[in-house]
Amino acid sequence: MSCAYEEDLTAYVDGELPPPHRARVEAHLGTCAACQGTERLLRVTVARMARLPAFTPSPSARRDVLARLDALPPTWRERLAALLRPGLLVPSLGVAAAAVLALLVMGRGGVEPAALDELDAGAFEVATNLELVEDYEVLGLDSSDDLEVVENLHELGTP
Amino acid sequence: MEWDPDTQALLKVAAGDKQAFAWLFDRHHASVARFAFRFVGDPARAEELTQDIFVKLYRHARAYKPTAKFKTFLFRVATNHCLNEMRRGEYRVARSLVKAPDTDADEDAAGAVEVPGPDGDRPDQALSGRELEAAVGVALGDLSDRERAAFTMCRFEGMAYRDIAEALEASEAAVKSLIHRATLAVARRIEALQAGTVPARSRA
Repeated sequence: MSCAYEEDLTAYVDGELPPPHRARVEAHLGTCAACQGTERLLRVTVARMARLPAFTPSPSARRDVLARLDALPPTWRERLAALLRPGLLVPSLGVAAAAVLALLVMGRGGVEPAALDELDAGAFEVATNLELVEDYEVLGLDSSDDLEVVENLHELGTP
Repeated sequence: MEWDPDTQALLKVAAGDKQAFAWLFDRHHASVARFAFRFVGDPARAEELTQDIFVKLYRHARAYKPTAKFKTFLFRVATNHCLNEMRRGEYRVARSLVKAPDTDADEDAAGAVEVPGPDGDRPDQALSGRELEAAVGVALGDLSDRERAAFTMCRFEGMAYRDIAEALEASEAAVKSLIHRATLAVARRIEALQAGTVPARSRA
């Protein structure tokens, strides 16, 4: 079973313990042979890590990563910033203003009640009975003969 | 408020300054590459990960709050990226066959570098640098991802526990525990190798 101080030993070796805690561990080390052995092992291991060869990245790393940045798609912020450039923004605002003006004019002179009177009477009837016409289409009755049959059926149905 | 040069550069990066980014890259890419290498155990993959991490740094520079140290922020990005990559599982195989970095020291490691044993400068069986590298690689591969991240930042980057805690978004007590477990595991792996009870390149 490991000693209660064991988990403090690495922090002790690394100089990461606050002074009062460090003093307690030091006092314990003076009396515990198992912790002395572990502390020695930890110190040797830390020293060994410092001797391992360092990994050296390739010299082309900088060029490669900058090329990747250049290939990145623009973020929405960059796109927005590009759209808000004065050279683009001023003409765009002009086009937008013209579009709004056109819509206002069309809104005023658009569909007026009188226009309905100009519709063909047959078309008007179809329009008002659109639901019925759709039913006929569902039934496959779309020729004028068929419509005549349906009309006669309606007449038969009326009291 | 006066910020350190790294922070100032990153704030410029956040505004889209690629020169500031290149400056930061030159200053820090070697440490990120070392971290990535110890994390995945594969030099080629470490290079790719390093690039990915810096691209992420560039894209997420706006998320940086100058209240955190730049290096802590960088290693948080690096750790999260490496952890995500490890969770995908594709590096598990790479870790079991740890490739030593191709350096001059590695040439020496073929036989000339003697590493002392735990009991003194004249061990019965000294490890070559290559054997030690392999043993450390295997030991790191057997650690949990967070233990490996904490160990790597501490042992190879010399980061303080407090900064590691910030990078890992963990408490200092948790980091102390992670580093202790990791260091002890690596130590015991090397000890076992030295005693001849495990071969250098197999998992424990």
